[in-house]
Amino acid sequence: MKLVVGAIIIGDQTGAMENKQSPSRFSSYQAPWASMEVLGATPIARLAEDLQKDCDTVSVISKDRDSQHAKATHQASMADLAGDCFANYKREGLGTVLIIRCGSYVELEIAEMLNFHHEQGVGVTRAFSDDAPLDVWMVDLSGLPEHVATLATLLSTLLCARPAMYRSQGYVNQLRTAREFRRLVLDSFYSRCRLRPQGSEIKPGIWSSEGAEIERSARVVAPAFIGRDVYISAECLITRGSNVESNSRVDFGTAVEDSTILPNSYVGIGLDLSHSIVDGRNLLNLQHNVNLEITDPVVMRQNTVGGGHRQSWASIETSSMSLSSAE
Amino acid sequence: MLTSGPVVVMQVPEILNVKEVRNFMEELGPLLESNRPRIVLDCSQVRSMESAGVEMLLRCLEEVLKRDGDLKLATLSPEAEVILELMRVARVFEAFQTCEDAVRSFNAIPADAVPQNTPWYADVFGELGVLKQAS
Repeated sequence: MKLVVGAIIIGDQTGAMENKQSPSRFSSYQAPWASMEVLGATPIARLAEDLQKDCDTVSVISKDRDSQHAKATHQASMADLAGDCFANYKREGLGTVLIIRCGSYVELEIAEMLNFHHEQGVGVTRAFSDDAPLDVWMVDLSGLPEHVATLATLLSTLLCARPAMYRSQGYVNQLRTAREFRRLVLDSFYSRCRLRPQGSEIKPGIWSSEGAEIERSARVVAPAFIGRDVYISAECLITRGSNVESNSRVDFGTAVEDSTILPNSYVGIGLDLSHSIVDGRNLLNLQHNVNLEITDPVVMRQNTVGGGHRQSWASIETSSMSLSSAE
Repeated sequence: MLTSGPVVVMQVPEILNVKEVRNFMEELGPLLESNRPRIVLDCSQVRSMESAGVEMLLRCLEEVLKRDGDLKLATLSPEAEVILELMRVARVFEAFQTCEDAVRSFNAIPADAVPQNTPWYADVFGELGVLKQAS
């Protein structure tokens, strides 16, 4: 049974930014880790789907320029969109709104949090995990200002309201670093969270999505994930918790160990990729903490063969969910 | 002949693409053709290496080994290390933390420890001459 709650996921990136001393993200990348595909779908998409089970309306507001919606609504600011959502929710008669600023991956028990929120009798409740406060708020719509100037204003309003502290028992991954991103992949493989690989389990611990092609002489060792429209060439080895995301290609004889290949990436012939995250021509090695841009297209590049654009979390759009994007 | 020239240390450019490889080989080429070339490549500045750069390193190694010499790498930047590992050639090269260590490694058995005019078995069978005289 659905609760009378609206949910807004704000996909701005500040929550997931790292400082420059820790070069463990792609320098050319501005999107947060939460908007990267993990085992077939982005954490934001999964969160939105998860919330749909419990909430009447789920809205996603993002700065994702790749999203189809970004083109349509790029003039609107994120605060305006958030304000519109609040107004719509009020019109629909919803009393409570869940606001999630998505930089992290969280698994929430909405009903439990709502009960806690009602019991406390304060206008704002904030979720905490064991180690840190989360950007997850449950707010009575009546307590929100009519007009929200900026997201920062909104958040400071929430903070000033002296929120009740709800301790979330669910799985939390802050997704602040590439290591945490990799940890999410492994936690999913080892069932330490609810996030499951999309596609079918073709052998124990090996998942394959629609359109994936694995040559007979290639070897895939569990746990591993081969995404949608991925091509694994002959004599390749995919092993130790590696995931190759949608529309990527691993060429002849390459070994991929304890690594993530993000969507639309080409990894060349006869390479030894380990403890790394690849996105097009960007290579992030977690063992050496090195972030490289590979300029040689023979080695790595954006994969343009056989597919469309980078899968955006806008593709999670469903009938009961609204998506908005802002510049 | 067991003589050998000095150890030559060369700085590898920051970017090893096709163009830079060509320039670098113009400097390195004559050294490779010397007798028993002993070369240390200082890779501390390397930030980016294309497959042409890795191919050059392998070609150089092949050339020096043909001439009974050796090529060693020193002060590998993390970027260079990652690329060599990625291309499966890291284990082919002997690599050192510093150039001094790499140079010293060539002289692990100092050349002057064995006199050039003394046969190789002189240390072991030093008394052979004495025995000959006695017989």
